[in-house]
Amino acid sequence: MDLTPRPESQAPKRRRWMPIIILSLVGVGGVVIVTQFLSSAIDYYCNVDEVGVRSGCDTTNRLRVQGTVEQGSLAKLNNTTNFTLVFNGKSLDVKYSGDPGGVFQECVSVVAHGRLVNGKLESNRIEVKHSNEYEAKNKDRLEESGSAACSQVQG
Amino acid sequence: MMSQSAPKFSSTGTQATRIVGVLTIVVMTWVVISGLVFTPADVVQGESVRIMYVHVPSAWIAYLAFIVTAIASAFYIFAKRHSLGFDRVAGASAEVGVMFMVITLVTGSLWGRLTWGEFWQWDPRLTTTAFLLVTYIGYLAVRRLDGSIEQRARRSAVIALLAVLEIPLVHFSVVFWRSLHQRATILDPNGDVKMDGLMLFTLFSGVVGFTLVFVWLILHRQRTMLLSDLANQSGLDAAILARQNESVSN
Repeated sequence: MDLTPRPESQAPKRRRWMPIIILSLVGVGGVVIVTQFLSSAIDYYCNVDEVGVRSGCDTTNRLRVQGTVEQGSLAKLNNTTNFTLVFNGKSLDVKYSGDPGGVFQECVSVVAHGRLVNGKLESNRIEVKHSNEYEAKNKDRLEESGSAACSQVQG
Repeated sequence: MMSQSAPKFSSTGTQATRIVGVLTIVVMTWVVISGLVFTPADVVQGESVRIMYVHVPSAWIAYLAFIVTAIASAFYIFAKRHSLGFDRVAGASAEVGVMFMVITLVTGSLWGRLTWGEFWQWDPRLTTTAFLLVTYIGYLAVRRLDGSIEQRARRSAVIALLAVLEIPLVHFSVVFWRSLHQRATILDPNGDVKMDGLMLFTLFSGVVGFTLVFVWLILHRQRTMLLSDLANQSGLDAAILARQNESVSN
């Protein structure tokens, strides 16, 4: 009986390329799903100019509306904070019950949660949406940076 | 079953790990002092910007750790000699990555409370990051399933190669979708980095420091894994020998 090992060429070869093809297909499929089909379902907010226009931003629903707090619009009265959100040339008045606190101020981007009542957003939650800019706190540059932020975001 | 040679070391430390350890202490000391004392407060965020020097590097190192896990897993699966060393590096890197991911989420939540006004929101970036963390906790759980060391290596390598595909999804979630989380500052697609100079330098120092911590932990952890595998192996060998002795004596 011949017990010498078989030559390597006769041994069955494993198809090592199959996992690579499967991984590639999964990757391509994932990219297509994410970029083509999930956008409107996963977006966190509607911009001010999309309220009542874009799918998912219906005025009858509870909304999350993103915009910049307009300079000079902020007014606090009793326990209510009123301000105007602006974005892309459109504006929306917001009435918030309470004081947003934290870093909320004019010229910052915020997301206001609430319902539209007579064309005004009655909000019970405000989230400050920080930009990807980091600037040193400096008295000389404070005013300049504030106005720059307003002009940038309002577009 | 693949046999493993006895380790040539009596502890998990070497000259290399000691050098990395000392460098880590030096760089991290600088990061702490610069982050807390030298760097200015942010014009909008105020003092809470200092959380960034931990949050951003820990997120990047978590990504790096999971990419290392995938590369080591690919080497294990596709290399002709399925070296268990790659599997141990993959496992060690995933453990460290999960630790950094937890640090990322905790520091991010603290920053979110101070800036957004909320600890947590199910926005695209936070949701995908939480999903990534859960995936790698699952990966670590699979590594602890019953079976041989080779089975552990094969199963976990396949999961690692699939799980790493989530990283682009997490990173670009703020580009694909509208997110409460801000877009990337350093990896801005336009290359326009809008950050104060000392803040940027401290952030990069943090990335270097956290990378050194990562390397130091990986070196030690994969060696403790080797010792653990050898201990399990010797226990199994002893049990087989005992059963053989019993059958001979009977």
